Amino acid sequence: MSSNDLLQLRGVAKSFGATLALEPTSLDIQDGSFVAIVGPSGCGKSTLFNVIAGLLKPDSGEVQVADHVVTGTAGHVGYMLQKDLLMPWRTVEENITMAARLTRGVNDDDRAEARRVAEQYGLGEFLRHYPHALSGGMRQRVAFMRTLVTRHPLLLLDEPFGALDAQTRLEMQQWLLEVWKEAQRTVLFITHDVDESIFLSDRVLVMSPRPGRIIADFVNPLARPRNLDVLTDPHFVELKSQILHLLHGGR
Amino acid sequence: MDPQTRDLERAPRESGQRDRSRTQTVLRNVGIPVLSIVLVLLLWQAIVIIFHVAPYIAPRPMAAIQSVTDNWGLLWPLVLGTIRETIYGFVCGAVLGLGLGVIMAKTPFLHRMVYPVLVLSQGVPIIALGAPLVLILGFGVTPKVVIVAWIVFFPVTVNVLAGLSHVDQDLLNLARVYGASRWRTFWQIEIPASTTSLFAGMKIGATYAVTGAILGELVTPSGASGSLALYQETANTNFNVAAVYGTTMVMTAIGISWFLLIVGSEVLATPWQRRTVARRSMFRRRRDVPPTLRVH
Repeated sequence: MSSNDLLQLRGVAKSFGATLALEPTSLDIQDGSFVAIVGPSGCGKSTLFNVIAGLLKPDSGEVQVADHVVTGTAGHVGYMLQKDLLMPWRTVEENITMAARLTRGVNDDDRAEARRVAEQYGLGEFLRHYPHALSGGMRQRVAFMRTLVTRHPLLLLDEPFGALDAQTRLEMQQWLLEVWKEAQRTVLFITHDVDESIFLSDRVLVMSPRPGRIIADFVNPLARPRNLDVLTDPHFVELKSQILHLLHGGR
Repeated sequence: MDPQTRDLERAPRESGQRDRSRTQTVLRNVGIPVLSIVLVLLLWQAIVIIFHVAPYIAPRPMAAIQSVTDNWGLLWPLVLGTIRETIYGFVCGAVLGLGLGVIMAKTPFLHRMVYPVLVLSQGVPIIALGAPLVLILGFGVTPKVVIVAWIVFFPVTVNVLAGLSHVDQDLLNLARVYGASRWRTFWQIEIPASTTSLFAGMKIGATYAVTGAILGELVTPSGASGSLALYQETANTNFNVAAVYGTTMVMTAIGISWFLLIVGSEVLATPWQRRTVARRSMFRRRRDVPPTLRVH
């Protein structure tokens, strides 16, 4: 290992036709960290994710995961969207083992691992349920477990709680922090929600639209473990105000 | 708490009453349709009696049914023949329809090439197919099977095509992020996601399959073994009106049974549409979690 950085972007840029969606962007994400990305709609956050995930080939630049150049190739990261994308015809257990089923076939170890994470994180009773029988929050947990069991050290979460109600979202954020601590993964987390970005992360990147670029990189001063009290902590409020000014120009 | 979670918590209480609610469901799903058929027959009987309809125009339903039971020995081989034509033709048509749908969904060039031919094939009046089919395939079961397949494949192809082109693009992207091969993506995502469309096409095909078989029996001769359609024609020539109506009822019964069989297989093939919890798999022995892996 040449560095502690799990993910390195070097001058990655992407246009769609004449529109520059992502300015040449460089970024280092430290192994084990939780980094949030906030920005308005259309600021190229999802384009950035799709480039890192290998769904899009950047026009220029290089993506490295764990010191391997993976530019434009898939299969190196865990990836989760706002839509849970659970397969309605598969049970919870089968959905969790989906990555194995799609790449090499599911074995007993995969099934045991799926049952282990489901039981550890409160879905053990629902392994044989079909997704339609679960609530929105439970479905997102299943989707996250599906991402987790891929064993990729880097997880890309694109507004995973964006479709949940405020109450459930708060529960899911605390749950995610718990899982993140135990699973020891690196998380890149896209959100619209400034509170969410600060509550969860070690570091907040702020992006601006057209062309998408990172305009600020804040180190989050809040100590861990965090509970809901940090939402009123002066450091929290200070950081939130700075980010809001960047996003809305002080209006 | 949101509604779905509440459903789950209600489930155990309901299982205690399962026997009664199950009986009620069966009564609702089977009893009511049977009742409505009986009502249609009673209405028929009433009209014939009240308006003094002459027996050479329309028999009473009981007379029609009796003509069937009285001649069952003669009818049964013919019924079997029609069923055979229906099954062979339907299976050929459904397989062809599914295959064409998949190939066309996967290769836009073939889609453009083949689609006009498919539409053309449905524009040909089926009656007009009789003579050429007999010339090419002779008498017997084959030309009837071709006619049934000809009718069945089209709705299957159209629906499979629609189903495959509406698979969630985000789900396909997710499979790509995992590094899934096209083949596995096809079997694990695209095919299951299109099951409902496939069955929609097959259900339309099933309603026409028996009509196709009877049409085939009318436009292509069956030789010495005879056919259900021929039996009805003979009854008509002999002014045996009860037998004409009785044969129609038999044909209808075959058609309904075939449709119900397809509906039933859809129910079996798509358990997730009705069930909350999956049944234990019939095919895979599930090994329980070793105790060491249990975490509480």
